Amino acid sequence: MSELLKRRGVLLFTAMLLLVFAAACSSDDKTSGESDDAGGEDGKISGELEIQYFVGGYGDSWWKEVISDFEDEYPDVEVVEQAGPNINDEMRSRWVANDPPDVVYIDGAGSSETQMVEDGQLMDLTDWVQDIELEGGDKLIDSFIVDPGKFDGDIYTLPLVFDTWGTWYDKALFEEKDYEVPTDFDSFMDSMEKIKDKEGIDPFVTSGEHPYYFLRGMLYPAFGAAGGDELLADVITGKEGAWTSDVVLDTMKKVEKMQKEGMFDSGLGALNHTQSQMNFLLHDNAYIPVGFWLPNEMENDIPDGFDFGFIPSPMQDKGEPYAIVPDLRPLAIAEEAKNPEAAKAFIEFAFTRDYAMSFSEHTGAIMNLTEVDLTENDKVPGYLTEANEMINDPDQVQIYEKPHPMSADLETPVGDALMSLMLGNMTAEEFTEAAEKAAADYRD
Amino acid sequence: MVQSKKQKYTFLAFCLLPTFIMFAIFTLYPLFSGLYYSFFDWSGSSHVKEFIGFDNYIKLINDSIIPGTIIHDYFLVVTKVIGIMILAMFFAVALTQLKIKEAPFYRIVFFFPNIMSVVVIGILWTFIYNPSLGLVNSGLEYLGLDSWTRPWLGSEKWALPSLVLPSIWAGIGLFMLMLMGGIANVSKSYYEAAEIDGANEWQQFWKVTLPLVWPQIKISVLYIVITTLNGSFIIVQVMTGGGPNNATHVMGSYLYQQAFVQYNFGYGATIGVMILILSLITVLILQLLMRKEKVEY
Repeated sequence: MSELLKRRGVLLFTAMLLLVFAAACSSDDKTSGESDDAGGEDGKISGELEIQYFVGGYGDSWWKEVISDFEDEYPDVEVVEQAGPNINDEMRSRWVANDPPDVVYIDGAGSSETQMVEDGQLMDLTDWVQDIELEGGDKLIDSFIVDPGKFDGDIYTLPLVFDTWGTWYDKALFEEKDYEVPTDFDSFMDSMEKIKDKEGIDPFVTSGEHPYYFLRGMLYPAFGAAGGDELLADVITGKEGAWTSDVVLDTMKKVEKMQKEGMFDSGLGALNHTQSQMNFLLHDNAYIPVGFWLPNEMENDIPDGFDFGFIPSPMQDKGEPYAIVPDLRPLAIAEEAKNPEAAKAFIEFAFTRDYAMSFSEHTGAIMNLTEVDLTENDKVPGYLTEANEMINDPDQVQIYEKPHPMSADLETPVGDALMSLMLGNMTAEEFTEAAEKAAADYRD
Repeated sequence: MVQSKKQKYTFLAFCLLPTFIMFAIFTLYPLFSGLYYSFFDWSGSSHVKEFIGFDNYIKLINDSIIPGTIIHDYFLVVTKVIGIMILAMFFAVALTQLKIKEAPFYRIVFFFPNIMSVVVIGILWTFIYNPSLGLVNSGLEYLGLDSWTRPWLGSEKWALPSLVLPSIWAGIGLFMLMLMGGIANVSKSYYEAAEIDGANEWQQFWKVTLPLVWPQIKISVLYIVITTLNGSFIIVQVMTGGGPNNATHVMGSYLYQQAFVQYNFGYGATIGVMILILSLITVLILQLLMRKEKVEY
């Protein structure tokens, strides 16, 4: 009897293991629409709404506020939040298994708007977006500071956050030591020269581990100022001859000049973004190109008396206005969303001028809507109101738009060559050749 | 009681089957799925993938970064094998033969890095190499060697050699223990006999210790080679991310970049296949080179 039991036990154990194996190997594709909690029937918004959002420099307090208000407004909807600093990696398997969340905020490491559109993961919003209105009755589509990116003429994402890269400095230090805030490339070089002499530091730092900080923070505005939207589009899409054009070469000569005159931190090649930002806060350097999120991101490490000053990166020639190239962080709906009606309701709900105001209060950055007056709001940090004012004055600042973010397949090799140029191991000419080759590979 | 044949087979199955199933799930399945994905154009982030035959392999052959990554990997393999084996052997002999009183203390000290995560080691050494605050540059300045200071990890020339030191530091302990185990098994009488014959310590090491711990050395070398080819990725990823300008990319870190940063998962899988093949070839060659009759006295 016990013999029999033992044998059965062994068989049972083996069978269970086989089952585990089979389950692990079986495809876990789920048909979309399998979930029976999708709302939207007879016009009533209900069911589960899953929102994926990256939590980075802006924190998550704005999201919590909007989601909680949304749940109050739509009591039949239960919002499931998928959020965190690594959420893009954590949710990757869900997207691969074709079981995505309903709404996705595309931002942070591991996310790529371009890739998501190319892979057909996002819903085409072109027609739907035309009808959305803000609280005052203005059409949303006419109220964006920067219009949604278009892929072959279609809109898949709605730009929620208007961020922009620029150059930061410590206002307190500049006032104390009487350093002038640069207004163009020449005065930028003069200012760095002066700081180098007086402070005995390498004036400029950026992350060498992530060369795209310099690419997006300094070169995009430089390309915009020198060649407008067209040049910007050409370098980003890797158009033949764009990188070896004279305009690009002239800009790269400026970078070469910065390197030759010892303006770059000699150790920047090894710095990741946090280390470079820390160096900046500790006055090891005086200028750093980062986006609006810098003060929020480094909140806990800001020395007493440090006062953030922000200017659009001064790479333009004398007499030209500053140039900025907005960096947009969009919201989108998954093509395979289980509850598209609630997803649409949420997006409509979030895009209001009230939430735009509260976004600036929470994050120190700007939501991508026009006519949001930050000047009267004392909860908004000073650098932001100033920057906002500057951005809205076309005499001071010219806005250039890129067609879409540069693909990582082009940005990575261009960034590698850029780092070599910044370390003095490549000339501007060699850089443009290397970038042109990278663009050719990318086009293939 | 004599076991029946059936009982014997049931027992064997009981021992082997679960292991085999685990092996199949966690080793064979990923191995073959990696091979499978290498034939696809797939971003790794969506369910859409396109079969492209050998296109990824053609891309691999034409990729100008790949030769560099292979060279960097083997640079680390060679320097690590030499560095770790010499130091581990030295410490093992010192701690077993020289009758140092504090031997147990040193054993713990040398083994300590092995219980630390490689990620922690990487971060720690990033601070040590920090151009302005780091121990290395401060030490050099203290010694008056200012001209020797440099941004170690930020230089295209010095970044890769700088990775060797933490890799060796992290590896010594384990192999030191393995060799100590080998040396402890060598009978004292051999050394006594050698001494009577007039052999000095150095000769004893070459003629007695080394041949008798050869099996341990062989296993250690193989182990270092395999773990370096498969795992050097971690230290590179943490300390330099492959930069500056690909100066420190090893095959593993380049795979990661392609698969997870540039969204070319299929191509990443192809690099994985290359790592597998190169590792296999390397191990086979090493097996041949290090084949030696087992020595018994």
